[in-house]
Amino acid sequence: MSARFVWPANSSQARAYKSVGWALLLIGLVLFAFAYADTAQITVLDNGYALSLPRASKAVAFMIAILGLQVVVGYTGQLVLGQSFFFGSGAYIGAYMVADQNWPWLLSLVVVVPACFVIGCILGLPALRIRGLYLALVTLGMAATFPAIVQLDQLDEYTGGAAGKSVSSDLVPPSWLPLDGIASILQNIPFFGQYFGEGDLTSSESERIWKFFLFVFLLAVCMWLVSNLIKSRPGRALRAIRDNETSAAVSGVHLAKDKTMSFGLASALGGVGGVVYVAELGIASPLDFTQLLAINFIVGLVVGGVGTLSGAVIGGIVIAFVPDWSASTEDFPGIPERWLAGPTGVLILGALLIILTFVLPGGVVAGVRRIRARIVQIVPVPPEGATPPPPSEGEDAVLRREAEEISAGAAANDPLTEEPHA
Amino acid sequence: MELFLARLFDAISNGSTYALIALALVIIYKATTLINFAQGEMAMFGSFIVLVLATEQGLPIWIAVILGMLLSAVAAAGIERVLIRPFDPYDHLPLVIVTLGLFLSLTALAGIIWRFDPRAFPRMYPAGTAVTIGGVNLSWYTVGVLATVLIVAGLVTVLLNTTKVGLAFRAVSSNLESSELAGIRVGPTLQFGWALAAAVGTLGACVFVADPIRQLEPTVMVRVLIFAASAAAIGGLDSLWGAVVGGLIIGGVQSLLVPYTFIPNEMSLAAAVVVLMLVLLFRPSGLFGTARVERV
Repeated sequence: MSARFVWPANSSQARAYKSVGWALLLIGLVLFAFAYADTAQITVLDNGYALSLPRASKAVAFMIAILGLQVVVGYTGQLVLGQSFFFGSGAYIGAYMVADQNWPWLLSLVVVVPACFVIGCILGLPALRIRGLYLALVTLGMAATFPAIVQLDQLDEYTGGAAGKSVSSDLVPPSWLPLDGIASILQNIPFFGQYFGEGDLTSSESERIWKFFLFVFLLAVCMWLVSNLIKSRPGRALRAIRDNETSAAVSGVHLAKDKTMSFGLASALGGVGGVVYVAELGIASPLDFTQLLAINFIVGLVVGGVGTLSGAVIGGIVIAFVPDWSASTEDFPGIPERWLAGPTGVLILGALLIILTFVLPGGVVAGVRRIRARIVQIVPVPPEGATPPPPSEGEDAVLRREAEEISAGAAANDPLTEEPHA
Repeated sequence: MELFLARLFDAISNGSTYALIALALVIIYKATTLINFAQGEMAMFGSFIVLVLATEQGLPIWIAVILGMLLSAVAAAGIERVLIRPFDPYDHLPLVIVTLGLFLSLTALAGIIWRFDPRAFPRMYPAGTAVTIGGVNLSWYTVGVLATVLIVAGLVTVLLNTTKVGLAFRAVSSNLESSELAGIRVGPTLQFGWALAAAVGTLGACVFVADPIRQLEPTVMVRVLIFAASAAAIGGLDSLWGAVVGGLIIGGVQSLLVPYTFIPNEMSLAAAVVVLMLVLLFRPSGLFGTARVERV
């Protein structure tokens, strides 16, 4: 089925389409941030659900971690289930740098990223020999041991043991940023102004907005880096490993090096996610980083779409909001109250995982792309000066002509072919 | 010496329960070369059904266990037909995802139906001490669990080696395509494998929570699955008796190696994972598994 609009990639329409898309996304983020800076209620079927910016920031943390999974599972095809291990490591290292070494949050990334990269590479070394389901098993086991590791007595002074490690936030908006000004502009929009609160922002509100945009910016940087990686030579090597390890090795991909790199990168991204998570929550507690979180990351990966970058965004939203939403839902038409009091969110995630594997194996992103392809299609243009390949000459062409003649002759002589010239 | 014996008995009783769940994993792996990550949760669900049958319906515990095993077998056969069979058995990612989805759904369902408060499980073995060796009491529970594992592994071996369906199962696990060509109905045979595994798993979970020091709650099997999977991998993942030996080794690591070395007690799970990793690194087909030759 051909699309309603078909634009070449260098046409003005295609460029306008792309820039309008990005602008709408940015405006949407600003509107969202200012509307929900205070704990605002969203009402779905008479259920008040507190959708606030901190929850959205948590979702951003999950998105970065799932982005890491996209690299190692989606693009390299290694069944790594233990992303919560690296998420937790990043969270604890970040909390330690900020709380005990008095580093600013953003600077702590300078330590977290290399540290998680190295941890990921080291733990990835066995993965060079362990494959498929065995790797899934080992990594799930690693995720299960993380809470025990940080609660070790020897690490108590660094990790705070069972009580967790709490840190205060130093992420205050710089004074040159006119957050109050933006808020008052939004408040003066006719009809919709009422959704943006009244008067100046309180300090905690402006802090939340600042953090949210900072985290979204971090996510954007990570996505940009990963997308560049995927499009470049190492990224193609990773995809070659996913599609067929042996033929990748034959084509000159250094399996050990590239797999280890992909592990390290995934863990580094997990670490960045962990830092964002702790910077938002203000505490890293061992039971936040169990294997349940690891499985939730897989849910996010699958729901968004394995091997797509935007899938990480959708996955993060799903695993951050679905459990929260169902936990704060007290009555829902047609569902007994007893069910809603239990872990309904987990049930929904589990069911989503199974149903999507059946009906939409490419995740939500694949579905959206399929619908979009019916409306707008942007076709790549051949590079300048390129012409369609001329009919080949020489020995090759002679052989082909001979082959065509033989098959035409065979068809003509074949009694079963009714009309050879039709 | 007394402490050593007490720990040894602990190792046997823990190891035997891991061996039972490992047996279930091995049966499914033999059939479909798939590790069922939901095995622990399926077993947990089954043992809740046994608990309901025993306490609310007032059935004797062993009859409740057998009924529960039958019910889990039927349920697992249904799960295999609906959720597993539609997928290509050689493509692991969708299958792993489906079993993880089952893992989440079953935990949540059990939490919704039975809540998260721990419940005492009825005794399955006589209380008290069987014999006293070197001043240490060997409880009936330990003897019973070990006997259960040996009997179950023996029965499964007999079932697979002497019956017609067992023959079909072995044929399918040896070569799926050829056995299909030989006229074996592959689907129902794999379904039989799932049913058998679920029954064994339910028994394993019941035995595990029947220990007087434990109670039944929806998350009880989460850690056990990792121990059991390590046990199965040590045994080679496709060897029934290997799973039993692997279970006992993991039990030994947990109750003997960890206390006698510098490893802190909370790290027993980590120790099991490390053992698993070492086995996979240096002997990928485990101690008793068939080495797979890959054709390129």
